[in-house]
Amino acid sequence: MTSTKPLALCLTDVFKQYGDHVALDGVSLNVPEGSIFGLLGPNGAGKTTLIRMVAGITAPDSGRVEFYGSNLIDEDLNNIGYLPEERGLYKNMRVGEQALYFAQLRGMDYHEAKSELTTWFERLEVDGWWDREVSDLSKGMAQKVQFIVSILHKPKFLILDEPLSGFDPINAARIKTEIKRLRDENGTTVLLSTHDMSSVDELCDHVALVNQGKKILEGEVSTLRENARAGRIDFKFRGNLIAFTAALGASAILHSVHSYGDNVNEMVLGIPTNTPIEKFLKWATSEVDVLSCSPRKISMDEVFLRAVNKAKR
Amino acid sequence: MRKWFAIVGREYITRVRRRAFILSTLLGPVLMVGFIALMVVFTQSQERNEKILIIDTVELLSYTHEVKGEQVPYCPDCFPLRDFLEYRFTKEDTITKEGFLASEYTGMIEFDESILQNAKAHLYYETAQSVNARSAIKRDLSNAVEKLRVKQELNLEYETYKKLKVDIGLKTINIETQDKNAENRSLVGWVFSMFMFMFIMIYGMHVMRGVIEEKSNRIVEVVVSIVKPETLMGAKVAGIGLVGLTQIIAWAILSWILFLLFGAYAESSGMLTEIMAENGELVAATNLNTFMRAHEDLDVLLQIHWLQMIGWGLFFYLGGFALYGSMFAAVGASVEQESDAQYLLLPVMLPLMFSYILNIQILSSPETTLAEVCSYVPFTAPITMMVRLSMGVQWWELAISALILIVTVFLMIKLAARIYRTGIFMYGKKPTLKEMFKWLTYKNK
Repeated sequence: MTSTKPLALCLTDVFKQYGDHVALDGVSLNVPEGSIFGLLGPNGAGKTTLIRMVAGITAPDSGRVEFYGSNLIDEDLNNIGYLPEERGLYKNMRVGEQALYFAQLRGMDYHEAKSELTTWFERLEVDGWWDREVSDLSKGMAQKVQFIVSILHKPKFLILDEPLSGFDPINAARIKTEIKRLRDENGTTVLLSTHDMSSVDELCDHVALVNQGKKILEGEVSTLRENARAGRIDFKFRGNLIAFTAALGASAILHSVHSYGDNVNEMVLGIPTNTPIEKFLKWATSEVDVLSCSPRKISMDEVFLRAVNKAKR
Repeated sequence: MRKWFAIVGREYITRVRRRAFILSTLLGPVLMVGFIALMVVFTQSQERNEKILIIDTVELLSYTHEVKGEQVPYCPDCFPLRDFLEYRFTKEDTITKEGFLASEYTGMIEFDESILQNAKAHLYYETAQSVNARSAIKRDLSNAVEKLRVKQELNLEYETYKKLKVDIGLKTINIETQDKNAENRSLVGWVFSMFMFMFIMIYGMHVMRGVIEEKSNRIVEVVVSIVKPETLMGAKVAGIGLVGLTQIIAWAILSWILFLLFGAYAESSGMLTEIMAENGELVAATNLNTFMRAHEDLDVLLQIHWLQMIGWGLFFYLGGFALYGSMFAAVGASVEQESDAQYLLLPVMLPLMFSYILNIQILSSPETTLAEVCSYVPFTAPITMMVRLSMGVQWWELAISALILIVTVFLMIKLAARIYRTGIFMYGKKPTLKEMFKWLTYKNK
């Protein structure tokens, strides 16, 4: 579960309470440098509180927030980019002017900001909107501008809260590409909060799941998936179902079966984790006519549903 | 600090360049002067020619002229010829209602001996006379009757009587400062305080609306991740305060230019000499300065210590705006839409309204304890002090008032910032005043 990479962000036993409501109840989190870290959880789980803490908007009641090895201070905020979930722009300003304003708030000087903005506006196809009123922007356009504003100052650490909501599939894909590019080319660490599991599958290399103010799962996506798979395989064959089930014996556990007729059956099997899939396949070929055999694909959806259910129990 | 200036700049520029701001700044003084001018022109053009018939049956005021064969007044001077007012006399009392209505006369006065006792006359009209015409008629009749009575009852020549008659003018002088006419000047102070009230109110509401916009648009979330909430609030109040200041300065300069233009016009057109001649004044004033000096109510404008008024006016505006602006910001942060702000605005507006209303009281009795106290209380000082300043206050009074204001501004900014940074992230429910007080005790961040 632990990573050998240096940590960009380390939360230790963070606790935060609003009135009687405990928003974060002793959460610890390790975000490795250069990773895309998915922060997941149901609504009201405490994600936004956690994100606001990292963005320097709130502070924990107790616990530590360390940024690149030392306590988070105001100066660090210049190295953080933040795209909140609920985002807006000033209505009475023009698009370019507004982007420039935020860039200057981030401490960039005018010319640097201007040339960076021009590049980004072209890249995300918002050029031509520079002198337009914000109220003329479509939702997707406004989202792009907000995305640009949050990454313009080349932050070491980028917080994206539901960055893909409101985008059509084409633009969502474009933003995903940009997020990956930021990690690969600039080494940006990304903390990404989302409900969209498919984007987790696509983007994240690390994830954490919070539920009711507590972290219930954290780790590398590949490891988590492997663990959740727990030796399950999808197995499709032609042959006698009853005979094969009897032949399985104790070497595999039958989780589910579906018969298509014409002696074609599909099974979900669990084999012991120390048995390589090749060994099982060799044995199975001798018994039946194997049509397909593959390690079961577990979606992150399933991983989290299981984790949440387990936490409830 | 750079971020602070960036915010101040945004708040300032996005407002100053609005068409509404530019228009109101340029047109404000023009409209005000224009409005006054229009009113004068309007009332003048509305003046109709009054033709008043005086029914003098007992020939108290008039006699039948042998040559002309008509009634003429004994005292023609008492009934001077005016543009808008003309008198005719008759001794016949046979005029009926219908006769009057059909006649060219616009008014009719019955005049008999009883007027010498009860000093009352009746003016009949078809459509009412203007205030101006009525007061002229009253003045003329009074003069005529006075003259009559002086002759009849005292057997004095009217000229002799006039010499006896005195009208005491009261000139007030402060024995310590030798200051004269302080209470006349207070009117100027009152105008200052009215503008103070207006600007604090208008731009205070700007602050509130700006905060609400940022909150409901959720822009604040991004901004506050870059700068501290109190920085954002402070810079916002400062930026909008500067917008108000810009307008004040622009209005002052424009008014000054308009005044100079008017003065030049009045001097060149001979309007001043005309007015003076009309009023029978002896001094011939060809320039505005001497004209103003000769008229007590205008002379006040020359006596005002403008530099002091403007200097302190700006100080109290900035202080007062910082004080109220941060309160408006706190209110804005606590609600999600303007309509929810009403009841929270009450405690903010109350002291402002109070000092505005109090000013009328102070105008009539300037040196009350209430006025003095209010010029120290920071919430009322910016408005109250302007009236008192125009009348002259001790330097130490100003110093104390200013000091208290500065200290309170700092405290208020701190308090408002606490409410602001908590309120700005509260969505979904309207807070009560009690809850807002609780926010004051919340931990930093």
